[in-house]
Amino acid sequence: MFPGPTLLTAITAIIERALNHALELDPAGQKALLSALEGPVQFRVTDPVSLTCSLHRAGNRVQVRSQPTDQPALEISGRPLAFAALATGDHRVFTDNRLQITGDTGLAHQFQRALDQLSPDWEAAMAKHIGDVPAHFIGKRIRNAVSWSRQAFSTLNANIEEYVHEESRTLPGRRELEATFEDIDSLNLRTERLEARVNQIESRCNTDQPETL
Amino acid sequence: MSEQQTPASPSNGQDDVTHFGFRDVPKSQKASQVAEVFHSVASKYDLMNDLMSMGVHRLWKRFTIELSGVRPGHQVLDIAGGTGDLTMKFSDLVGRDGKVVLADINASMLQVGRSRLTDRGYAGNIEYVQADAEHLPFPSNSFNAVSIAFGLRNVTDKDQALRDMTRVLKPGGKLMVLEFSKPTNALLSKAYDTYSFTALPLIGQLVAGDSESYKYLAESIRMHPDQDTLKGMMENAGLVNCKYYNMTGGIVALHVGIKP
Repeated sequence: MFPGPTLLTAITAIIERALNHALELDPAGQKALLSALEGPVQFRVTDPVSLTCSLHRAGNRVQVRSQPTDQPALEISGRPLAFAALATGDHRVFTDNRLQITGDTGLAHQFQRALDQLSPDWEAAMAKHIGDVPAHFIGKRIRNAVSWSRQAFSTLNANIEEYVHEESRTLPGRRELEATFEDIDSLNLRTERLEARVNQIESRCNTDQPETL
Repeated sequence: MSEQQTPASPSNGQDDVTHFGFRDVPKSQKASQVAEVFHSVASKYDLMNDLMSMGVHRLWKRFTIELSGVRPGHQVLDIAGGTGDLTMKFSDLVGRDGKVVLADINASMLQVGRSRLTDRGYAGNIEYVQADAEHLPFPSNSFNAVSIAFGLRNVTDKDQALRDMTRVLKPGGKLMVLEFSKPTNALLSKAYDTYSFTALPLIGQLVAGDSESYKYLAESIRMHPDQDTLKGMMENAGLVNCKYYNMTGGIVALHVGIKP
């Protein structure tokens, strides 16, 4: 059945190698992640294919395994997009239940903090191969490019939002929508009260009728 | 029951012969002939493994380690450990409180394995033992896990070897047999046969200067029991929850069983 053990093992081997290489470039991040891996942490992708992998601590290295572990200290399950969102720093994946946690939630927070703290020093790794000055030059350009692309993405997002809400009026604004929802809630509440009042009057009329006859 | 016997088991009453590749040889001679093969290839063993499997043997062994469930403090026996690929990984997993025994019947392979592991800084929790898989020199109930990777097909009496491996396992311990098996796809099987009987001896001749040993390798793989037969043999040896995992289309299978 696809993907077979050989392919899965190949994928986890590549992930393990990349992860450990990144951790070697960030000793503080490595320490934080290893301390969060006192017990195995298992990830379970539920859809569209069922996949499981787990992280284990082995000395100063992290092992990535493609097979389910017997008693994980923590299991995080959900769809691939939710895991991608977690990897990009979106913490709402836990609160809006896109990712489910089973096990020690304290460990989940510790693990999440350790992932956030990871900041490998790619420039130092590059400097080993091409020298300090070229590495710094390239590193600076990359940092600027990343910073610019983040800012550009953020600005683009804000511009699209403004156009949709304010200029084309395709969608209502957030505050406008909240006011409408509040009005609907209030109307709903008043309607329910009115219904209760009518029912009360009706039942009173039915009770009073025999006495008047 | 007959399905659970190895295809190579003599059924014609000649109980004193066994197979050596496609040939029948006296049982007493098989071990020495296998030993000759491995004495011949020991120095180039790792290089040949990489060339023959195109590096995939590392993934098969990695999968075996993943399924082993070995933890710090465990005692592990790696039979036919050869140049120590599995022993190295087990050594990392068991830590300083655990122990790994690298056993091989062949002194040359053991010597290559010992030198390789020592050169890489693996020491302290590894022992080296020259031992026959059919008569393991260890007390019963000694190990949390026993592995034999690409070694069982060279053993003369596989049933006896499986029984003895089961004996040395602790109750709840796991036996893992990683071995070449039967491809599940007919097309793959054909391609694999062509590769095994033409390319393998040629690579053996070019790299290790020995085509006969690699011809034996291809033949011994064909004579090895298929997945279900080996599973039955493990159950007969007293193991429970036996199952197998086909890898790379069944070219290799990992059999796992638990000692009750």
